[in-house]
Amino acid sequence: MDKKNKSVLVVGAGIAGIQASLDLAEMGLDVHLIEDTPTIGGRMPQLDKTFPTNDCSMCILSPKMSECARHPNITLHTKSTLENIEGDPGNFTCKILEEAKFVDPEKCVACGLCEEKCPVKIDDEFDMGLRKRKAISRYFLQSIPAEYTIDKDKCLYLTKGVCKICEKVCEPNAINYDDKDKLIELNVGAVILSTGIDAFNPFGFGHFGYKRYKNVVTSLEFERMLSASGPLGGHVVRASDKKEPKSIGFIQCVGSRDESIDKNYCSSACCMFTIKQSIIAKEHIKGLEPTVFYMDIRAFGKDFDKYYEKAKNQYGVDFIRSKVSEISELPDGSLKLKYTLENGEILYKNFDMVILGIGLEPRKNILKLAENIDINLNEFNFCRSDAFTPLQTSRDGVYVCGGMNGPKDIPESVVAASGAVANAVKCLDVGRYDVAVGDPSKEKNVEGERPRVGTFICHCGINIAGVVDVKDVAKYAKTLPNVEHSEDVMYACSQDYLDLIKSRIKEHDLNRIVVAACTPRTHEPLFRDTIAEAGLNPYLFEMANIRDQCSWAHMHEPELATAKSKDLVEMGVAKARELTPLQRLPIGIDPKALIVGGGLSGMTSALSLADAGNQVYLVEREKLLGGNLRNIFFQPDGKDPQKLLLDTINNVKEHKNIQLFTNSKIEEINGYVGNFKTLITDLETKEESRFEHGAVIVATGGNEHKTKEYQYGKSTRVITQVEFERMLQDKDFPHGRLKNVVVIQCVGSREEGRMYCSRVCCTKAVKNGLELKKIRQNVNIYVCYRDMRTYGFREKYYTDLRDKGTVFIRYTVDNKPVVELIDSTDVDSKLNVNVFDQILDREMIIDADLVVLSTAIDAPEENEVLAKMLKIPLNSDGMFLEAHVKLRPSDFATDGVFVCGLAHSPKDIDESLAQAKAASSRALTFLSKNSILAEGTISEVDVSKCSGCGFCVDVCAYAALEIDPEEQVVIVNDALCKGCGACVASCRSGALDLRGFSNKQLHSIFESLELT
Amino acid sequence: MAGTGRLEYPTSIMALRVLCSSRIDPVFLLKAYLKGADGVLIGGCHPGDCHYETGNYYTRRRFMILKTIFDSLGLKSERFRLSWISASEGVKFAKVANEFTETINNIGPNDTKNNMFL
Amino acid sequence: MNKVIKIEKSTKQGLLEFLEHLLVNDKISGVLTLRKINENGICDYGFITDPKELIETAEPFAPVMPVNASQILSSLTPTTKPIAAIIKPCELRGFVERVKRAQGSLDNVLTISYTCGGVIPLNTFQSDANEKLVTDYFEVIKGTDTPDSVRPTCKACEIFIPMTADITIPIFGNNEVDSDCSLIMNSEEAVKMSKDFKCEIIESDLDSKIMAEILGKRTAEKEILFKTVSTTKEGLDDLVDTFGKCIGCHGCSRVCPICYCVLCDFESSNFDYNTDLMENELSQKHALRLPPDTIFFQLGRLNHMSFSCVGCGQCEDVCPAGIPVSTIFKKTGEDVAKIFDFVPGRDVEEVIPVMIIKEQEFPEVGE
Repeated sequence: MDKKNKSVLVVGAGIAGIQASLDLAEMGLDVHLIEDTPTIGGRMPQLDKTFPTNDCSMCILSPKMSECARHPNITLHTKSTLENIEGDPGNFTCKILEEAKFVDPEKCVACGLCEEKCPVKIDDEFDMGLRKRKAISRYFLQSIPAEYTIDKDKCLYLTKGVCKICEKVCEPNAINYDDKDKLIELNVGAVILSTGIDAFNPFGFGHFGYKRYKNVVTSLEFERMLSASGPLGGHVVRASDKKEPKSIGFIQCVGSRDESIDKNYCSSACCMFTIKQSIIAKEHIKGLEPTVFYMDIRAFGKDFDKYYEKAKNQYGVDFIRSKVSEISELPDGSLKLKYTLENGEILYKNFDMVILGIGLEPRKNILKLAENIDINLNEFNFCRSDAFTPLQTSRDGVYVCGGMNGPKDIPESVVAASGAVANAVKCLDVGRYDVAVGDPSKEKNVEGERPRVGTFICHCGINIAGVVDVKDVAKYAKTLPNVEHSEDVMYACSQDYLDLIKSRIKEHDLNRIVVAACTPRTHEPLFRDTIAEAGLNPYLFEMANIRDQCSWAHMHEPELATAKSKDLVEMGVAKARELTPLQRLPIGIDPKALIVGGGLSGMTSALSLADAGNQVYLVEREKLLGGNLRNIFFQPDGKDPQKLLLDTINNVKEHKNIQLFTNSKIEEINGYVGNFKTLITDLETKEESRFEHGAVIVATGGNEHKTKEYQYGKSTRVITQVEFERMLQDKDFPHGRLKNVVVIQCVGSREEGRMYCSRVCCTKAVKNGLELKKIRQNVNIYVCYRDMRTYGFREKYYTDLRDKGTVFIRYTVDNKPVVELIDSTDVDSKLNVNVFDQILDREMIIDADLVVLSTAIDAPEENEVLAKMLKIPLNSDGMFLEAHVKLRPSDFATDGVFVCGLAHSPKDIDESLAQAKAASSRALTFLSKNSILAEGTISEVDVSKCSGCGFCVDVCAYAALEIDPEEQVVIVNDALCKGCGACVASCRSGALDLRGFSNKQLHSIFESLELT
Repeated sequence: MAGTGRLEYPTSIMALRVLCSSRIDPVFLLKAYLKGADGVLIGGCHPGDCHYETGNYYTRRRFMILKTIFDSLGLKSERFRLSWISASEGVKFAKVANEFTETINNIGPNDTKNNMFL
Repeated sequence: MNKVIKIEKSTKQGLLEFLEHLLVNDKISGVLTLRKINENGICDYGFITDPKELIETAEPFAPVMPVNASQILSSLTPTTKPIAAIIKPCELRGFVERVKRAQGSLDNVLTISYTCGGVIPLNTFQSDANEKLVTDYFEVIKGTDTPDSVRPTCKACEIFIPMTADITIPIFGNNEVDSDCSLIMNSEEAVKMSKDFKCEIIESDLDSKIMAEILGKRTAEKEILFKTVSTTKEGLDDLVDTFGKCIGCHGCSRVCPICYCVLCDFESSNFDYNTDLMENELSQKHALRLPPDTIFFQLGRLNHMSFSCVGCGQCEDVCPAGIPVSTIFKKTGEDVAKIFDFVPGRDVEEVIPVMIIKEQEFPEVGE
């Protein structure tokens, strides 16, 4: 393959496409990101909150969107579709159709006047039709790129040749009715598809009365209602009478797990989506009674079960396992639900509102796309990929991620995106490159200059201006000392206003900028980059959060909120006056990597990095490679895990870039991103090896839980799934004829002490059940379970096993099955399993020949040692805690350290493979650079004041400080310092200071306060 | 997060941003107190989940030192409060902010603001 | 029980002969001790290397603190040549606190201290007419009473027994001080030093009954003293009354053994009072006490060092405005140290409260 190509095409700009683009761009590759809607962002902007942390979806996404739009290596093509792909991996020619926008993006300032004046109202698909938009409009408030487009099917002029109002009102003359669709060609080395999913449309489905009954809405519509920035401003009311609902019924699996509509798959995310909505709704509406009607609660992800428990116990959400068969409307618009319990009892319950938990399905246009670019789809019309190649399409060089090849939630999409990148780089020319170091000589020198502060007060649409008198604040700011310019802006963060800020800097010769808007957490980088573009050092910037802290927190006290906004701006200006330019210093990056753990994940990561040309040290505690995969012999799809294992091991052993250390223990890891030093010892020979590397991937895996329950260890007939799988493999059943086999799920999982789902056990039980049926057709299988969590396409195997006559008996955690030896003196004795059957509504005693326990996955105890060594956190279950559960699933807060596989949380083979690749691709975003830049806001020492007492050294959690033995003063390691400031507050001499949060700056804020 | 959740708290609370509660030198609290602040509230991550590892434990010790000095001198240490409020706990922030404001209202205004010696 | 060097001479004579022996035999290179600087009995610290000069001029137990000796020891250490230092219990504690802060080292320092009767204010002692004062002082401390001539903080000092000295000498509460010399050896180091010294070695210790009696009196005295600074009025007014006199000379911090900073942060440009600040302040208060921020300085200093305050009294001794600095700092310091169960100078291994953390403490904080 020709690996000269540095360009790559990403199709679909949802969170997966964005993540893939950012990873590729950070590796120095040229990315073309195409998207068929007018904005990047995909589904996430429509979401109010994300589970299980209730983070604001738009808040966590918008920095990524901005980064994507601003990245010099990413070219955005919105309203564009992929028409075809010709050529071979490494050298594809892609035809892209760029639809006419009828508005020149170069000229449009997104002022919104055109939309205000446009006479044509159409349903706003972003707000699920709950709001109207115009034929000329911006997709949503924070859409990127910030530009307006005309809907050519709705525009009066384009359809009927009359109107042209927008052209008349547009001052910058951006309207261009003659705009034409364009076909462009791109030469790329690889293609990543991430066109996402659609939500199931329940119109006419079931007897749920969607669109017939006003108060029956879909979960996506409800999400928009809950959203504080949505059409109802977060005040949920019924469509029929605008009254706040007091009871809400959630119906699950609408358009999922339903063979009658050819959707025998689970949409994976809806259970959590509903739990989240029930919690958020309860927070919005006092006294609300939410009820969830469900088949199984599939809270299988990391920390999901804790969230589910919280909904039940803390928020009092009622979960009823049942099937809703009918909804009828009452005269007052309320809804009467008819539902059937497991035991067949039919009940009715009235609700003020009903939310349909709609499933996820392939995008409507996927059939055409698949035909155009010659890729295969699966039986449900999702893009086809296989368990052992979870990110590959049927066409070489074309990879897939996100929901396109199966329903996924956000972190899985992000993992898949980074994983797909690791695949794509195989066809691309990734080399080491130099990052652009800011050149202070090109910056305006502000030293000795009097501070000339510019303040920009943001309306944030009505987010701020709806409460705070923004114009008044701007006027007040003008009166503050050193403020040379002050103005109010509609959306400070939109490209047009960013450009405005830049031009004001030039116009008024500003040397400090204060933006009063939203939170610096999401928006500071954007503004810093902006003033840098205007020639100012990016750290000459300060933000006042008048949205969260004024307009939102004091929405009923507009006058006081305005007064407080003034104070906050004054504080910001006070700090800004003291700001000094800061530089980000380069830190060299060693391109080698250490991978801890030689299971499937570790080996896959190693191969990915090695293939990209990086030297890898792979360290495994055990003598043999393979980890848990050594115990897996079957896949429900018939693929052979042992072949995967052997192939992977052989590839690892033969790879010239991989240095393998089995039976070895990591003694110490020192250093920091780009510059780690590790010492390992061979457990047998005690031989020590030392090596240096730039990144670490943690792939320590998981252990099978050792249970004492259900007579395990006391009876030879009670075995674990792992032991059972080996029996099936060897076709050796020591107890002879099997008549009744009882499988017990959730052994150790989802209860006190291990409040998490081990995720793989349901599928494992199903898979092994099917295998047993293959060997012994007549054996009776009884599966005692709590919720069957065969998510995604695993559902069909579950129905398979059910169809083969397997009995599924649901039990609850307070009434677990009881296993007894029939002859308690005989370890080989047959067993009685006593379990309460919810369907039969009575106790059942099964005379079992074999009891198979689906035991939990435990985090290895050694995680703690490694966590300390690398200074990375573990969650309460002992699993490694990633930097952000949604958007940084394979990263740690500590730069240069990554996680994958079971070390992160329990997962299946395909998921481990995806995350292993993701971790390597995240590592490559560092390792492909010759150096990275340290933070600007770090500690610095004034040695003339330092008495060398060493308080700070003890206080620093990052080992970033040490005493210079010669000079007896402290020195700061720029690369390690995270800028927390603990050392600064410990230094009574004032010798240490935190750049960007200096003593002087903070004191000047106090001095600015008028505390009367 | 209180803002994101539209939770209301008194407008008299003015936030000053630092990256970690451990950045807060008790001298800042002194400064604010002598400037006339009626109260100073420090928000930090919960013990055990400091975003910056162990910073909050140091904050707690420093806070206790200042508080004890105030008690020892017969000054109103209730004007200082340290509260563990994680970034996502908007509800707790609003609750603490309301409570603290009430505490301060009960103590009454801080006389330092009128005293030329301070 | 400890090994004790017993010499049938006056305590002063015995000690000096022992040190002379160490000097002559090159076991130490010099002695830090108080010494006469003129015939009028005025004393100061000196580092003496000549055995003859030691015998002639040293006044190891003189009840005066021209400077807290811990500051001097910081400049003498670390040293490769062993030295001896005869210092007061609070000076030793101050030095231990400094060592924890890397401001000196105990290595190669033979620390000699004694049960201390307190010191006479610097101004009083360093005058030409101190002879009777000193004679009376030594007469009184043969018993268990503290002479009236000593500083208030000394009268209330409960840690008059050295905490970590290599050699402890009974002075206060020792009525045989003129005829008998006992050098109590607390460390291996001290025992090693005494090896070739011709003397009687017995097993003995301080008279615990007498020590307890002194402590009782001191504790009672402390309660009285602390009452003088306890808040009788609203705290803030009291604070202004007390510290309002401060002239901002920062003499208290210069003489403080715990204030070792190269440049006190409160004197640095971080706290400069510029015109803008003055204007801002004036716009609110309409008047501004000058020099400004004196009370801020006192509170800030408490925040920086109170937990390590050894109550040596130097700050109060030097205060030109007559502010009872030491009394206040001692009280507040004890209050602060108590919450961490910390005693400054008790043990060089005992970590300063602000340098370590405990996961489980102060459960009442944080809600």
